[in-house]
Amino acid sequence: MFKTPKFIFALSITALFTPLAAFASPPVQESDFWRAEVEAGNLPPVADRIPDVPLTVDLTARGRTPGVQGGTLNTMITRSKDIRQMVVYGYARLVGYDADYELRPDLLMSFENQDNRRFTLNLRPGHRWSNGAPFTSDDFKYWWDDVANNELLNPTGPPDFLRVEGELPTVSFPDPQTVIYEWSKPNPNFLQSLAQARPPFIFRPAEFLKKYHIAYADPDDLAFEVNDARVKSWAALHNKRDNMYKFDNHELPTLQPWINSTSGKKIRHLFVRNPYYHRIDENGVQLPYIDVIEMEIVSGGLVAAKSNAGEADLQARGLGFRDIAILRKGEADGGNYETYLWGTGTASQIAIFPNLNVNDDVWRGVLRDVRVRRALSLAINRDSINKALYFKLAKPGAMTVLEPSPFFDPELREAWASWDPDMANELLDAAGLDQKDGYGIRKLPDGRPMELVIETAGERQEVENAMQIITDDWREIGVKLVMRPLDRDILRNRVFSGTSMASVWYGWDNGLPRPYTSPAYLAPTDQVFLAWPKWGQFHQTSGEAGEAPDMPEAQRLMELVKNWEAAASDTERTAAWTEMLKIHADQVYGIGILAGAPQPVVVNKSLRNVPVKGIWAWDPGAHFGIHRPDEFFFEGGDG
Amino acid sequence: MEILRYAVYRFGTMLLTLLVVSVMVFAIINLPPGDYLSNQIAELRASGQSAGVAKAEFLRSEYSLDRPLYQQYLIWVGFMPGPHGFSGLIQGNYGWSFEFDQPVADIVGDTLWLTVLVNLAAVLFVYLVALPLGVIAAARSRTWVDYTSAFVGYLGLATPNFLLALILFYYGHKYFDLPIGGLMDPIYEGEPMSWDKVKSILIHLIVPTFVIGTSGAAAMMQRLRANLLDELGKPYVETAVAKGMAPARMLTKYPLRMAFNPFVADIGNLLPSMVSGSVLVSVVLGLQTIGPTLLTALKTQDLFLSAFVLMFVALLTLIGTMISDVLLVLLDPRIRYEGRET
Repeated sequence: MFKTPKFIFALSITALFTPLAAFASPPVQESDFWRAEVEAGNLPPVADRIPDVPLTVDLTARGRTPGVQGGTLNTMITRSKDIRQMVVYGYARLVGYDADYELRPDLLMSFENQDNRRFTLNLRPGHRWSNGAPFTSDDFKYWWDDVANNELLNPTGPPDFLRVEGELPTVSFPDPQTVIYEWSKPNPNFLQSLAQARPPFIFRPAEFLKKYHIAYADPDDLAFEVNDARVKSWAALHNKRDNMYKFDNHELPTLQPWINSTSGKKIRHLFVRNPYYHRIDENGVQLPYIDVIEMEIVSGGLVAAKSNAGEADLQARGLGFRDIAILRKGEADGGNYETYLWGTGTASQIAIFPNLNVNDDVWRGVLRDVRVRRALSLAINRDSINKALYFKLAKPGAMTVLEPSPFFDPELREAWASWDPDMANELLDAAGLDQKDGYGIRKLPDGRPMELVIETAGERQEVENAMQIITDDWREIGVKLVMRPLDRDILRNRVFSGTSMASVWYGWDNGLPRPYTSPAYLAPTDQVFLAWPKWGQFHQTSGEAGEAPDMPEAQRLMELVKNWEAAASDTERTAAWTEMLKIHADQVYGIGILAGAPQPVVVNKSLRNVPVKGIWAWDPGAHFGIHRPDEFFFEGGDG
Repeated sequence: MEILRYAVYRFGTMLLTLLVVSVMVFAIINLPPGDYLSNQIAELRASGQSAGVAKAEFLRSEYSLDRPLYQQYLIWVGFMPGPHGFSGLIQGNYGWSFEFDQPVADIVGDTLWLTVLVNLAAVLFVYLVALPLGVIAAARSRTWVDYTSAFVGYLGLATPNFLLALILFYYGHKYFDLPIGGLMDPIYEGEPMSWDKVKSILIHLIVPTFVIGTSGAAAMMQRLRANLLDELGKPYVETAVAKGMAPARMLTKYPLRMAFNPFVADIGNLLPSMVSGSVLVSVVLGLQTIGPTLLTALKTQDLFLSAFVLMFVALLTLIGTMISDVLLVLLDPRIRYEGRET
């Protein structure tokens, strides 16, 4: 387990030496996929395409098998927006986690970290974007000077993770291969942020985007483009073209292993191998092994049926615990796939988040009363949900970290999570909600019945089933639950604007924190924690939007994050973590139902290098990302 | 010529109905508070992204969402000049989809004719199944043929479509290697029409047609059977039988013709229920029809997209009703449109 800056420094030293190994490896081989293009003179040969110092992965040393190029991997997504998963699965980051959650340079050749204050990023000489343009510090400079600090493109300035107590870094670009970020105070979260599933790209394909930037483009051409795209200004056009994460602009160069080769709204999207990708294996074969990824957009209800029919080579998205039976049946019937059961990294499989920033004054008062939140939690019969929906395979309990985390404490999981309707009733009575109407539903202070509308993303059947059971449980304590299924984006928008009273989502994405993990997601720093959207906005916009946290426990959480950031040792970091987890368990900001339900992963029988036991987690993890899908290959090269 | 006049008259009323429908569609879509852009603006404000807000405000005025509702409607249909002159449905501009950030025409494009295709196939299925089965069930009433067809029919009526779809997909794939979901193999998407593409579409149509059509066919069959049974008890049938007319010829020549009216008139009922039913079925089955688009549009309050799709569905229904009316007049001389006036 690493945590100290010293370790990162040591790591970067080893990283500096890996290139030497690259020179010893056999010559890089041309891929069959691009051979015709190379012979036609449209592409330079592979030796000229990969960086001078490629990243050589030693698969044998990691217990994997070196593979062969080729094949098409079929996978399914349920919404056309989800093609952005290719950026997540591709997981080419400046620095990325390996399977042990340690940070390694990836796109970077190496990095140096001096006391978390000065970060030197060393690029690979000869590294190129997928269109062949060089990837240099100019791309970082363009982003920093002309995008992040451009008032029209980013009115609020550079993103939040670059600010340390409001202070922006000094960024310098001494040579084409070096970028230096420097703060006067430590920014311990900088490198971790770069390794996120949804990374803050701190670089842009400058050569491509300058065509749309007022400072570089020819005014007449730009005006024509703006008009053509039906947008109001060059800034809007630039933002529209510049979607490194959305991945929907097939013209935008990328550094990911696969590049988008389909434009527009289609049912089938094809992603082909990036000819300039920077990773090769120990035999000199350029990664990714798989030539083409084919993503098909299907209706959410059909993912399991289609996987059962063998139409997916690698599938986890859209599959849930309840699909395991049909997947196993397909295997038994002679399907061409196997179903691996991976662990999940979320702190709770299902969690209810009462919105402490709801616009309705009365409800806000009620939901802010900790006795109400505790009562709602106590009234839920978690064991019966576990039995009815998860064959007792999940772990009922409140939202807290999972067992593999060093901070796991069984007491926190049990806090306010035992089934005790009597105590719940007492708590609600004590909270002043002791009047009931003719149907036995409690009355709010202003006389309305206590009908709590819980909004869901409408994506997971088990959430809806669990809510049915909770509806009955809560009737016992005189609270009426009304469930309202919405769309994922609408749900978020409603929560962010304070319209929704309560919502259901997963628990914290990262249920496996270690001392070096920033605990910021436990504090009101981000609107995506659905219990405090407005406090999160306040922090994210440096006070321009949202509301300042006005509950002492929430303020304490903010202090503890600061403590963690300023901490010099693991003992201090652990102390901050432990206290924050205690506050969460005590305050019940998110009512966790259960955790640890296995995630089915369908894997084609001839697909190799997919770990049988893995963790399916968003961040850190990037779903398949940290398991490096560019190293997966089909036996014999076709599939 | 009479029939032509009637057709023109029916066409006129259809256009009027369509106009009324457009008013209602537009009004109903605007009933829920807020619209896509105001939701968007609220979110962008909340997260402090003023650049986005400016863009959303620009779109508001670009698409006249800042004007009173009746003006929005007139501009949308094309009765009133918008910011860029007359540019509405009548002029062939279907509007802009905010959710997909594309013109509506680009989004619906292909899905329009696929919607028509799916519904056409389902209607054909209903008739092809209901006609022979209904006749046999009536001619051999209270025998095992009657009971079996009734049993299967009720099963079709009573089983929820999505369940039927999943069962058919599973077993269809297992035993007949039928594809699951979709309307064609994805590799043919956007390709020009070819024999292979047609074949792919036909194979993909089997399950959806069955799912959308079964309940309609069951109902239709029972109606035909009941009507035919009424006729079969009448004296002229007895006379014909007594005179030694061959049963099959007798059946098709007299009672069937009499029982045919409701069968044709039913197109008017069948189409709306099938078109609206197929919207949901398409979502479940993952068909590239207009159904999933409509659902997304409604969920995100994407004004112009949902309005256009609803108008299209209404148009399909109206065309179906018109066809059934005209056919009815052709079929049954007793139905006369002049009768109305005299």
